Amino acid sequence: MGVVETSELTRRFGSITAVDGLTLDLPAGGVIGLVGPNGSGKSTLIRMLLGLIRPGAGSAHVLGASIAQPARYAARVGALVERPAFVPGLSARTNLRALARLRGLPDDRVDEVLGIVGLTGREREPVKRFSLGMQQRLAIAAALLPDPELLVLDEPTNGLDPAGIVEIRALLMALGRSGRTVVVSSHLLAEIEAACDWIVVLRFGELVFSGPTEALLARTRAHIDLRPEHATDLPALLAALQAAGWAAAREADLIRVVATADRAAALNRAASDSGVTLAHLVVVQDSLEDVFLAMTGRSDGELAVARAGAVA
Amino acid sequence: MLGALRSELVRVRRRGLLLGWFGLMALFAVMVNTIMFSTAGDGAALPEGAPGVAFPSATALATPDGLTAGLPAAASMFGVVTLSFWAIAVATDYSTGLIRLLVAAMPRRWPLLVGKVAALTLLTAVATGVATVVNVAVAPPAAQAAGIDTSAWSAGALGTVASTWASTLAALLVWGVVGLAIAYLTRSSAIAISVGVGYVLVLEPMLTRLLDGDPAWLLGRTLTALAQGGTPSIALGTAIASAATYVALGLAGAAAVLVRRDVTD
Repeated sequence: MGVVETSELTRRFGSITAVDGLTLDLPAGGVIGLVGPNGSGKSTLIRMLLGLIRPGAGSAHVLGASIAQPARYAARVGALVERPAFVPGLSARTNLRALARLRGLPDDRVDEVLGIVGLTGREREPVKRFSLGMQQRLAIAAALLPDPELLVLDEPTNGLDPAGIVEIRALLMALGRSGRTVVVSSHLLAEIEAACDWIVVLRFGELVFSGPTEALLARTRAHIDLRPEHATDLPALLAALQAAGWAAAREADLIRVVATADRAAALNRAASDSGVTLAHLVVVQDSLEDVFLAMTGRSDGELAVARAGAVA
Repeated sequence: MLGALRSELVRVRRRGLLLGWFGLMALFAVMVNTIMFSTAGDGAALPEGAPGVAFPSATALATPDGLTAGLPAAASMFGVVTLSFWAIAVATDYSTGLIRLLVAAMPRRWPLLVGKVAALTLLTAVATGVATVVNVAVAPPAAQAAGIDTSAWSAGALGTVASTWASTLAALLVWGVVGLAIAYLTRSSAIAISVGVGYVLVLEPMLTRLLDGDPAWLLGRTLTALAQGGTPSIALGTAIASAATYVALGLAGAAAVLVRRDVTD
């Protein structure tokens, strides 16, 4: 059984369907990335899994227990939802102590998690003096308090500097390797690609992709851009390549050929055989971001238009 | 449930919150005693239905109960302070987003309410104690300055102080529950405090003038009667029944909102 299983999970807010018939099965262990544009339903899904909001329809299980009874798994789950949440006037340690007592945990555990996130020595300072990055670390510490089997982190690297992002990424990967399951939502695709073993892509509350990171990366495509020495040779080169069976098309002042890097030499030879000298030959590999945008929409504006159409 | 209480006690022990709460209670104790005794000494009286206070006569102040008369006299003022701090304690959970962590850790939710009520009850008992101590310290010199005989005050003073502390605490707890319920409903301490202050200073005096007699169901009147151990117009039993109804409604409303409402903050 997966660590998180959902079946036709749905939640509406007025006329907006935040999560729409979502059926998921997330494997136990490792780091799972939850990605999608703004309004794709990531936070709503996380809140439903944590028992903060109730689904309108469908069902879900977390660690084998129904989300209708979140008390059955709450002690085995740690979470950071949206943004760090603490009493600003209290110290980092006091804030964590309050959460530890709520869960019936000893104060020693507070010191352990402060050490894990690198806040030892700063624990007596009031949280209001913390930078956003430090608050983010403290929130991760709070999520780690119950030594959870499932760690759910909503945008855990928000506000962190590059070094902090690398550090937290390493921490998440270490936690994932230790047998826990870490579910991370993020907009930073590079972060997801680097840290996650499994990726879930949402759009308008619907599942677009769920699978191993390699499976998503396999969807990336490559193409080769060619530019002849003389622009007047473009039509002749295009005709020659197409006649030779290449998937070629003109793009402004160059010709784009759908082909992988290992076909570059053959292309160069084909151009030469047709009497055209190339001034420019570049292999372009799609990034995960290109795949993501192709799946979810090219831009926020495009998404807004699409969403308006969907609602209408 | 014990975990929720222990957690709440850690979070409410904020220096600013406690200094503000206890300081206001002490301030009002000083203020009401000073005004109450000087007014009684002048032979003047505040008009009937004056918002927030219910002053006894000079004769009543000379009885053994005079020592602690400032507490029930200021019950509505103390009540608004208590309502405010209970509301702040609740609304802070929402304004900081802490409610997400609390509910995720304790999804049954109602123990969170029980823990909060228990912790705030303890603090209210301490705050009432602070007001009581200040009242006992201020009343004798204020009475002497006003020329009121205090010779009867020493008889059974400890018992009088203890029973007034207890009856004032009972009234303040009702105020607190009302503040808690409004804060859970609105998720805003500002709205809860505005409603409380507006009710005591504006709405209840208006209702008192508009309605015939002295309606036992009006919150301020009822709770002042409870703090005083009953008044000529509202018997203690009636005050207790009305107060119990307010507590039941407040806790039921707060529980319904906390347990049923989605946590979207």
